[in-house]
Amino acid sequence: MNRLGAVPLALLWALPLLLSLALLVPTALDGAAWALALAHPQLWPALALSLATGGLSTLIALAISLLLLGGLPRSRVWHRLQGVAAAGLAIPHLAFAIGFAFLIMPSGLIARLLIGGDAPPQWVSVQDPWGVALTLALALKEVPFLLTAGFAVLSRGDAAVRIKAEAQAAASLGHAPGSAFLRIVLPPLLRELRWPLVIVFVYGATVVDMALVLGPTQPPTLAVVIWHALNNAEAGVNAMGLAMTLLLTAALALILAGVALILRLGRQAMHRLLTAGPSPLQTPRLLAALAGLVTVLTVSFALFILVLLSLAPRWPYPALLPPAVDLSAWASVPPATLWLSLLLSLAAAAVAVASAVLWFETHGARHDRWAIALALAALALPQLASAGGQYKLLLPLGLTGTLFGLFLAHLTPVAAYVLIVLAGPYRAFDRRYVAAARALAASKLSAWRRVKLPLLKAPLLTATAIGFAVSIAQFVPAQLIAAGRFSTLPMEAVTLASGGNRPLTAAFALALAVPPLLAFLAAALLGRPRWR
Amino acid sequence: MPLRLTRRGFASLLATTPFLAPARAEESWAEIEARAKGQTVYFNAWAGSPQVNAYIAWAADEVNTRHGITLEHVKLTDTAEAVRRVRDEVKAGGEGSADLIWINGQNFHVMKEEQLLFGPFTEELPNFALVDIDGKPTTIVDFAEGTEGLESPWGIAQLTFFADGAKLDTPPMSMMELLDLARDEPGRITYPAPPDFHGTTFVKQALAETIEDRAMLPLSIDKAAFTEAAKPLFEFLDQLHPYLWREGKQFPQSQAQVTQMLADSELLVGLTFNPNEPANLVASSTLPATTIAWQNRGGTIGNTHFVAIPINAKSKAAAEVVANFLLSPEAQARKADLKIWGDPTVLDMGKLTPAQRGLFSRAREPGSVKEPARTIPEPHGSWVPLIEAAWLERYGA
Repeated sequence: MNRLGAVPLALLWALPLLLSLALLVPTALDGAAWALALAHPQLWPALALSLATGGLSTLIALAISLLLLGGLPRSRVWHRLQGVAAAGLAIPHLAFAIGFAFLIMPSGLIARLLIGGDAPPQWVSVQDPWGVALTLALALKEVPFLLTAGFAVLSRGDAAVRIKAEAQAAASLGHAPGSAFLRIVLPPLLRELRWPLVIVFVYGATVVDMALVLGPTQPPTLAVVIWHALNNAEAGVNAMGLAMTLLLTAALALILAGVALILRLGRQAMHRLLTAGPSPLQTPRLLAALAGLVTVLTVSFALFILVLLSLAPRWPYPALLPPAVDLSAWASVPPATLWLSLLLSLAAAAVAVASAVLWFETHGARHDRWAIALALAALALPQLASAGGQYKLLLPLGLTGTLFGLFLAHLTPVAAYVLIVLAGPYRAFDRRYVAAARALAASKLSAWRRVKLPLLKAPLLTATAIGFAVSIAQFVPAQLIAAGRFSTLPMEAVTLASGGNRPLTAAFALALAVPPLLAFLAAALLGRPRWR
Repeated sequence: MPLRLTRRGFASLLATTPFLAPARAEESWAEIEARAKGQTVYFNAWAGSPQVNAYIAWAADEVNTRHGITLEHVKLTDTAEAVRRVRDEVKAGGEGSADLIWINGQNFHVMKEEQLLFGPFTEELPNFALVDIDGKPTTIVDFAEGTEGLESPWGIAQLTFFADGAKLDTPPMSMMELLDLARDEPGRITYPAPPDFHGTTFVKQALAETIEDRAMLPLSIDKAAFTEAAKPLFEFLDQLHPYLWREGKQFPQSQAQVTQMLADSELLVGLTFNPNEPANLVASSTLPATTIAWQNRGGTIGNTHFVAIPINAKSKAAAEVVANFLLSPEAQARKADLKIWGDPTVLDMGKLTPAQRGLFSRAREPGSVKEPARTIPEPHGSWVPLIEAAWLERYGA
């Protein structure tokens, strides 16, 4: 039983993934491709831009998230924030980028409010050469993800009880709330947030759709250069794109290794800081409230703007509202496509969480590093490349153009996200609860079902919701594997977006946002601890 | 590739027996139609335009009632997706997932070169006889590459500029006039960055207007000769760029973005490859009714887009029947209708019956081109990578 627990994860996810990656190796060793890549005039500036936007946006998102988690007391606001975070998490990246762009661009809402006149001002607010707009949008978009992951850590049954007790102990030793947060809540929180942080960094440095809307073009980020190369009809240019992909992945790995090394070397200093006596450090409530307000306002504005954009065929400058609205964009969302996307995503999320739980239950934490390394590899490689390998694997097996193949294509990134999101909270679970139940003569299964499952309810539901959201947004692998036999919501959305029709793009983006939004709200509501 | 060989063999047999040829060909078309019945055609076509998608949906209904063919639109963001898929499927062997591809230019060259296309088949299509090969030579020459019957013409494209007539009363009718306009209105003109298709076309247009000997364009070229021939082009672009949007240091990603920025009043001039797109955008109220469209006085770069059948297509017969239907006067007239799609026809009006001609409406809609200019054929394919590389080197980083 024990060993067999790895079977679903291995068979449905790890094995296909490893084989797909292996199939990329011959192309990766192609000397001509490397020569082309290294001679590309945009390579190094584009790489620098990718790393800078990805790294900075991660740091900003982390700072805002910690400010919100630590600065706001665990009050009603805190719980409201969960709902807002869920909404922010549910908006597809592309949709948020479009809404955000329409806020800040020269002909956007802010310019219409403040400047007006006949022609928009010539602001350098989107597609700025330094990638500021892209960095900010990425940071704001990732705050909900980090917040949700942080909430999941802090509101997990056993952790919540422990943190509460320890915070009381710290207070009795004279620590002010800020000091207690810094010394008691933050270290375990950061430890459990490390994989979500890695995801955020890797995502930010490899994102294509947001970079196309908000990022600079001369040079663009490396992900955009790669995207163009992999989209080319010439096999030689595709190979160049793949070589660049490997270079980008290697650079990301190098940076992550460097950060890990610095953290290890700095452990002594960190330990001294954390064990220093009580301090009167207060929580920065005002700053936290401000950061919360900015995040909430931006997210809700982006959503609101999307609704307006989806209804307005034309919205000329400097009108504050569209001159006419109609529902024609919404009428083109096909119901069959919506159902297929919903069912596929539910299945992928459920199977991913079940397989991950089976893995965690039957294998010790020391095996996790392999599973997580593989998951990170799956997420770190730009999808055009990894999906290409998967396609090469499924094609000779006759699985392209089949529903099962399409399901596997969705499961690959979903299982990776679920493993990474779940590993922290699952492994940190205090095993004494189960031991106590077993001592009270509960069977292994019933101890798990009646003690561990309820305590891990919040992270499990969050992981399912994240899996669902990841699945419903899948485009590149789905498009390849579906071979035109099936059509999912993002396929319709992205193909329409390629034509630049803003109302249609906005309508589909909202259609893509609603199902995960409901999933996150459900997870947040159902996942609340029953005590407190 | 046994099928390909027998077809080629059959074609040469027809050529040596001229008396039998018409009867055989007709008979064979009837056979093809019979075989096509009940087949499903997976039509891989770019789907970024709701108008195009609606037109393909109409065509699907028509071929279903007329020929019993199921036509499924496989929606692509980029035709190269289909090229890569066919390449991989041919490598893997067996039947492919694509039966018909909307294609031209580089994608066609690659597929032709790698022998990924079925045919020649266009001569078999009865409606191919109606194509205006003499008046529209790009219907058999795709970016200076002979189609050799491997793709069937579908529609005509010609570089066209557009603007809001209320903001721009005298449109620039040449690249030099565009430069003057940019000087007067700095920051309000731009073009998409190559290798975006429209961006490359804009640069090709500038090349055609600045090059000393235009006769070089249809010929193959090497890097040294290109550097010499393109000197005036880059002198022109060096002059133009400081007056462009963001001083020519940043460029939009796509033609769609340029159009959106025009609709948002950030830019003065938009560009398109479909001469009727501005009128169509007025009809769908994306652009105001005061929109004007024009083509440069000395002519603009133009080409034809086609449909082709992959070598490993499962339903080749039905794909041919669909290609033939797309060439029918009725389908072409509907496609040319500004309210439907507005894609100009490839047919020769002189070869149509008066009733068929009547299908093509000649109403002048707001936003349509007033004085169509002549077509400058696409330069030879060897120019494109050189243009794109040189542009990237100069302005890319």
